[in-house]
Formats: sequence, C-alpha cells, structure tokens
Amino acid sequence: MKRERIASSIGLVAAAAGGLAIFSVLVYAVLTAFKAPGEKMGAGASWWPAEWRWDNIARVFEAGNFDTYFLNSTIVGVSVTVLNVITCTAAGYSFSKFHYPGRNAGFILVIATLMIPLEVLYVPLYKLVFDLGWTDSFAGLIIPAATSAFGIFLMKQAIDSVPDELLEAARLDGAGPFRILVSVIVPSVSGTISALALFIFMTNWDSHLWPLLVASDDDYRTLPVGLAAMQSNQLGDTGIPVILMAALLAVLPTIALFLLLQKKFVEGIAMNAGIK
Amino acid sequence: MSSTRTMTVLPGRRARGARSLSRRSSLAGFLFAVPALALFALFAIYPAIQVFALAFFDYSLTSAPEFVGLKNFAYLSSDPRFLEATGQTLFYAIGTYGTALLLALMLAQVLSQKLFGAGFVRLLWFLPLATSWVAASIVWRVVLHPDGMLNELLGLDVQWLTSSAYARWALVIMSIWKETGFFLILFLAGMASLPQDVYEAARLDGAGAIRRFWSVTLPLLRPITLVCVIMAVLRGVQAFSPQKVLTNGAFGTEVINLFVYKTAFESARMGRASAVAVIMFIALLAIALVQIRALRRKD
Amino acid sequence: MRKTKVLAVAAGIATAASLVACSASAPSGDEKITISFWTHTHPPMIEVFEALIDEYEEANPNITIDYQTIPNGDFNTKMLTSLSNGSGPDIINMDDAAIRGEYLPKGLLAPIDPEALGAADAAEVAARYVDGALAGASDEDGTIYGLPSEFNGSALAINTAHFADAGLDPATTPLETWDDVSAAAQKLAAAGHPQAFSFLYLHSLWYAQQYQTLLHQTGGVIADGDEGALDSPEAIAALQTWADLATGPTAAADPNATSREATTPFQDLATGTQSMAIVYPWAMQQISETNPETYANLQVVPLPQANPSEPTSRVYAYYLAVNKASKQQAEAWRFIQFLADHPTEFLEGTDFVQPVVGWETTPAAQEIPFIDVWGEAYSVGRFDQVTPHYAEVQDVIQKMVNDVVFDGKSVKDAAAEASASVTRILQG
Repeated sequence: MKRERIASSIGLVAAAAGGLAIFSVLVYAVLTAFKAPGEKMGAGASWWPAEWRWDNIARVFEAGNFDTYFLNSTIVGVSVTVLNVITCTAAGYSFSKFHYPGRNAGFILVIATLMIPLEVLYVPLYKLVFDLGWTDSFAGLIIPAATSAFGIFLMKQAIDSVPDELLEAARLDGAGPFRILVSVIVPSVSGTISALALFIFMTNWDSHLWPLLVASDDDYRTLPVGLAAMQSNQLGDTGIPVILMAALLAVLPTIALFLLLQKKFVEGIAMNAGIK
Repeated sequence: MSSTRTMTVLPGRRARGARSLSRRSSLAGFLFAVPALALFALFAIYPAIQVFALAFFDYSLTSAPEFVGLKNFAYLSSDPRFLEATGQTLFYAIGTYGTALLLALMLAQVLSQKLFGAGFVRLLWFLPLATSWVAASIVWRVVLHPDGMLNELLGLDVQWLTSSAYARWALVIMSIWKETGFFLILFLAGMASLPQDVYEAARLDGAGAIRRFWSVTLPLLRPITLVCVIMAVLRGVQAFSPQKVLTNGAFGTEVINLFVYKTAFESARMGRASAVAVIMFIALLAIALVQIRALRRKD
Repeated sequence: MRKTKVLAVAAGIATAASLVACSASAPSGDEKITISFWTHTHPPMIEVFEALIDEYEEANPNITIDYQTIPNGDFNTKMLTSLSNGSGPDIINMDDAAIRGEYLPKGLLAPIDPEALGAADAAEVAARYVDGALAGASDEDGTIYGLPSEFNGSALAINTAHFADAGLDPATTPLETWDDVSAAAQKLAAAGHPQAFSFLYLHSLWYAQQYQTLLHQTGGVIADGDEGALDSPEAIAALQTWADLATGPTAAADPNATSREATTPFQDLATGTQSMAIVYPWAMQQISETNPETYANLQVVPLPQANPSEPTSRVYAYYLAVNKASKQQAEAWRFIQFLADHPTEFLEGTDFVQPVVGWETTPAAQEIPFIDVWGEAYSVGRFDQVTPHYAEVQDVIQKMVNDVVFDGKSVKDAAAEASASVTRILQG
C-alpha cells in the first residue's frame, strides 16, 4: 500500500511538472496581455511588461461591442449546452437501453454525420436557415447546434456501462422509462454529463464560422466573430496585447465552468459505488 | 390492461407480460431519440445529401451548379496539392493524437486519485483546451521563434515556423499542448463511473497497481476508450484551425480540411470541396467501423 | 435522378430567396428604404462611414443605411455564402483584386448608374477621377462597376536614426535600386541593425502583393491566357531580386527573424527593429499612433526600382460597388455618390486617398507628411494582374517564395514548379 502511495505521488509530481510547463506558455500570454501596444514582444524581449497596462482590460470593452458579443455568446452557449445535455442524454439512453427496429441504423447515421467536414455543410445549411427566416436571430445560432453526434455517441457509451440490473430493479419498483432516466441513468453517468456539458459549451464558445455566416447584424455577433474583427483591425491602435487580453478574458467563463464541474469527473466514483 | 399488469407478477405468465412491457417501452425508448433525430434530419442529413450531390457538380457558389460527373474526383486523384495534404493530415493526426491519447491515459490514471493538489494539476492540463486557437497561435508564434522559449529550453537552433522540415512538428507540438486536456477529461469521466468494488476485489487478490490498470481499468474503460479513439481520429483528420492560424498551410502544413476550406470559400470551387468531403466521409466511416469492431466488448 | 432533384431543390431555394428579396424592397419616393452596406474592419474608416451615414440619414429621413463590418479574414467567406442565395448586401466594399478576379467575371456587380451619380454618362463620372484610378473596378470593355473608397500607393520608409548610426546621410544615400538597398543594408548591419530591410512573410496575399510589386518593375506577368508565366525571364528576375535581398551575401535581413504577426504587419519597423520597409499610407498613420518615438525618425522615400529610368509602383484600391441582385440600385448609387462627395473626411479621418482630380493639391492632402513622395507613387502606380481563382495563385506565389527564401530551392526550379501550378489552376 505504502509503495503504491509513493508511486502515485511520483506520478502526480510528473503530471504537475508537465502541467507547469504547459502553464508557462499561458503565463507568457497573460504577461504579454498587459504590455503597451508598441512594446517589443517575442524573442529577446523581456517577459515582464515594462509598464503594466491595466487599462488594456478596459480597452477590450471599448474596442467593438465586446459586452454585446459576450452577452450573445453566453445566451447561445448556455442554451446550446442545456439543449445538448437533454437531447444527447435522451438519445444515448434510447440507443443504449431499448430495442426497436432501425435503432442501429439510426445510431450509425448519427455517427456518420460526424465524418463530413463541417465547413462544406455550412453552405447548404446557410440556405436552409435563411429560408427558415432564422438569419440574424438567436434561433439560427442555437437550434442547428441543439444536438451533437459526438454527444450522443459519448452518452450512449457511458450509459452502456450502467448495469441492466439497476434498471430492472427500478422497473420492478414501478418506475417508467422516464423515471429510470432521471433517477437511475442520470445519477450514474453524471460525470460524463458534466464532461459533455463542458465540451459542448467550449466548442460553441469557440465556434467561429457558423455565427459569422448566420449573423450579419452586429447585435447577434458572438465573441469569436468579434475577436476576429478585433484581430483583423489593421490599426495597431488595438495591438496584440489588447487582442490577447480579449482572448484571455473570453476564456474565463469556460474555466469557471471547468472548476464548477471538475469535481464531478472524480466524485462519480463514490456515487456509483453507493448505488451498487 | 390491468389483467396484464397483475399477471406479470405471476411466475408462469411472466414472459408474456415482459414482452408487452418491452414493446410499450420500446416505443417510449424510440421517442427519447426523436428530438435528436429530428434535428439531425433537418440540420445535418439534409445538408449532407446536398453536399454529396454537389460533389458531381461544378459549383462556384454564385452561379447555378453544372453537372460534371466524376470530373472533381478525377481532378483530385492526380492533384499534387490534395495528395500532399493527405500525407500531411496523416502525419498530423498520428503525431498529435497518438501522443495526446497516451499522455491523457497516463495522466488520468494519476489524476483520478484523490491526492492533494490533483485538482490544481487537472486545471493546468485543462487550461490550453479552453484557450482559443487564435490566442494559442499568437503565443506559440513567440514560443516557436528561432530565439524563442522552445529552442532555449531544448538547446536547439531550429526554424520551427519557417522550414518545411520542422513546421509540421511545430504544429504537432502546439496541438499536443492544446488537445491532451480533451482526452484527459474524457478518461477521467470514464474512470469516475467505474465500479469501485471490482478494484477492491482485485486489490484483495493482491494485484499491483500496474496489473490492476491492465486487467481491470483498461477493459472496463473500453466504451470510453472507443469514444476517445474515434474522436482522436476525427479531430486529427478534420483539423484545420491550428494550421489556419499558425501557418495557414505554408511550409507543407496544409491538411485536407484546410484545403477543403480554401477550395470552398477562397477559390469558390464548392463542387470540388464537396468531392473531398465525400472521399473523407467514406475513409473516416471505414476507419470508425474498424475501430468499433476492434474495441467491441468480447461478450 | 439525383441530379434533377438537386436542381429542383436549388431552384426552389432560389425562388424563395428572390421572393424574400422582393418583399424586402420598396419603391422609391417617400417610402421607407433600407440599404444594407458591408465593409471590412478598419476602425478609423468605420468612424468616417458612420459619421457620413448619420448625416445622410438626417438629410434623407426615408432612408436607413444598415451598416455592418465583416472581419477582414472572413470577408470573402461571408460574402460568397450570402451572395450564393441572394441574401448579400446592397452595397459591397471590395478590393480591386477581388472585384476583377472574382466578382466581375461572375457577374455579381451592377455597372455604375451615371444618372444616380449625377452625371450624363459614364465618361463624365470617369473624368472626375485621376487617370486609371477606376481601372481597378472596370472590366475589359471599360465598363465601370465602382467608385474608389481608398486608393493606396507604395513607398519605402526608412529609419533615419538607424542611418545616422551607420554614418549614412538619408538625403544623399542612394536608394534608387534594390541593389542600393542591399548596399545600405550591409552598412546598417555593421552598425548594429541586422534587420535592415525585409519583406513581410504573412499571409499569401502579402507575398503576392510584394511579388507583384517587383513583377511590375521587371515587366513580367503571372499568367498569359491560361498558361502560367512565372518562369518567364522577367518573372525570374523579380524572384531573383527578392532572393538576393533575403538570402546569401547580399541579404538585407534574416527573414527567419522577421515578425510574422499579421495583426501588426509593420511591427518590426514600428518597434525600431527594422530599418527599411515597403509601406502604404495607412501603415504610416498606424505607426504614428502606436510608436510615436520611432515615427519621429521615419522618412518616406520613393520605392526602389529594378529600372530607375522607368519607375513603377504598385497601387491597390477599395471600391464601393452595388450588388447586381439589389432591388434598389439607384438609391444605393445615390448614397455612394454622397460618400464620394466627401474626400476630405476620408483623408483627414483615415489617410485614405480618394483619387479625384487634383486631390494632392487640396489643403487636407498637403497636411499629409511626404505628400510629394506619395503623389509621385500614385502617378506611376499600376494595379496587380489578377487571374481567375486568384486565391489559389496567391498560395502558389507564397510557396514559390518560401521555397527560395526558407527552403533553399533554386530560383529557377521554384519558378518552374510554380508556373506549372498556375497553369494547372487556370486549366483545372
């Protein structure tokens, strides 16, 4: 036991060392984000800002409608995440625990859609969404993204691991399929649901091409499009530090969500053991 | 109906009752998939069918599509740019995602334990994943500069971003940095739902940590490993953001999806881009089916 | 079977799109009219446009201008996708290469409407502008499709402090030819300024525009009909000039050490790392704001030449043009004319030149530092040659230059390979 404890500690030290190496790149990014626009950066230049420009944070909000973009991204990101958790968990449950004709075909069709590069799908999709009258609207940003093949696949695989005996026991207690989903399946795979929520939020938060195509009106722009506009401003007035600052500020909600959910990834162990 | 319900508790008639219950629940079970399937039909399959059809057309986006049969496929089969992009895609996918998968599996083994500081280390590995590719590229251009952090650290004098020999490695390094966290989270989530009592049993049988990993953890992790492996192939083969932001395909780093993007939107050759999508679809589906077969539970 | 079905679907979508477009349009008069107008992003330019739009809407209460800015890197993607089903804007603001390379051949733009522009005919409109200034938005028959919103010439900026360090007098040091640049670079390097002159190695369009600058001077072309011409003696001479400045004993800088951050293309010049660079007017304005200390030492001189007896400079322009699918073309042109009537606002607000006859003698132009050099640059300016699928050709030029500058390939081999690629693009 003791030897194992030592071995895991060594493993943790190695993981921490790797983590810090990875982190150093981000430290550099954060320090650069506080530099003055004209200050020398990159090789040979000091990591430390010559003068700390705290007003770079304020300048992010002055350049473009950063607050509108932030709000839009939040609305879209939260809606898409909630919808995905619902649709993917339900579909994963359906594909994993029920037998009906066409089930496997349906599942394979869903997986197959993952294999097509998104960029080419966007052109016909744009025309469809336009015909639905959803350009420049939250519907156009949210509904086409309301489910995901990856999410369904992930949830099906996770629900596969939930023992059938658990379901059978609940059924004998008089629980219907919906109650089983809510009171047996969801608690058993809450770790995976957390991971799914995190990935969907993150992917959507970073999504650039679709929001660009579907929203022309600045009122419906999301952060990545706004950041691209900032980055493409050839006026050095914004400069790399402010762009980096904007990009780093944009990461904060994702990090917050990670901190909120990460316990779930490891705590599932105890819960699962408790149910058994 | 009420008679069926009471009968299910009778041992002798149980089979019939169970069948009717499963028939009813299979309809309910199908209904659970309906929202997702409806969304897929409209927003994925319908556009996908159009892409498949466009592969046989000349289509500049702004004029009517013109049927050209197999011309797009014939062009691609002898296009050096497309063939080079295919090779580069394989290099990138294997280099980045092979490494990231192994690294994530090892890290997950360590970080799934309740050790002091594990939460903080998990956060460190997750942070790059949360960072956007655009922000990552700005920082990495500095890290990869000839006088930058990486050369300094490794004691090298390598032109990471401006030579065809090394630019592909630069992309692999940056992408491992960013993508390992993705698989780490999946593995952690998978390990979290493993039944703890099996471990206890193995421990009581005197199995060491490494034995337990090979004979308990890995087999039980198979469903999530399948997700990871398939996602690794997909993310690897369909990557284009890192290439777009770091090199925009210069110095032999153009991957297939960047080629698709440029062909569709910069050169407005939507038909040809659709043809690449069809080829990619067939290849990826074949790979996925092989993976599913290889990792299927032996039961 | 499938073919007809797809066509039916496509036709259905087209019909639906045109119905929507119809219902959105309104007859002229006192009816409310909304004109959509898209440009790329450039904050000072956006400010000028917004101020002028306010003024126009005040004078024309029945008209609303729906003004949107699109990130530069995504401009083409966004524009092509929206034009694919007729949902694009009424007024498009595009650069000359895109107009001549993509938009005119595909018939996406409407010719100018002289009446709405307050002229009897197209010749009267053309006469308002400097000779050749509308060539960037004209087809082979001379039909004009847009009015310029900005017009950029190129020149050489030099850091006089660096020159002083090397004991060079900026007034007398010859910089007439590229060989002169190389000679000055050796002295600057000896004085501690190794990055004396470097081309910019950013996106493929930057490679292409710098290469075309040299190509104009050597008299080469990119393609002749649908045959690549990058291996002609003139084109090889242009590539050789680039190679000589970037590699070997005559190198003016180490290209590996050049900044590659497209967001701030002139970073090395602005931070005082680089001594000389090819610049545009907006670049100088940018440096004056971010790095005023460096800017104080910068001087603008005419672009070095391959053949000083026949000086040639590269110009490029952005034009205001009207979407052919627009249902309110006359109203759109009237608004464009209103914008064109305010060259001073553009010059003062963004340093954008609107090349109307006599622009360089206006008081606003005289305020621009080194206006004589810029005026000269415009007078010997030429637009880039463009080809169909020009984006792919730009990628080929980028690869050709990279092969020579960074991967040690010979000029001849790289040019031959690139020329074959261009032929393949144009015939494929």
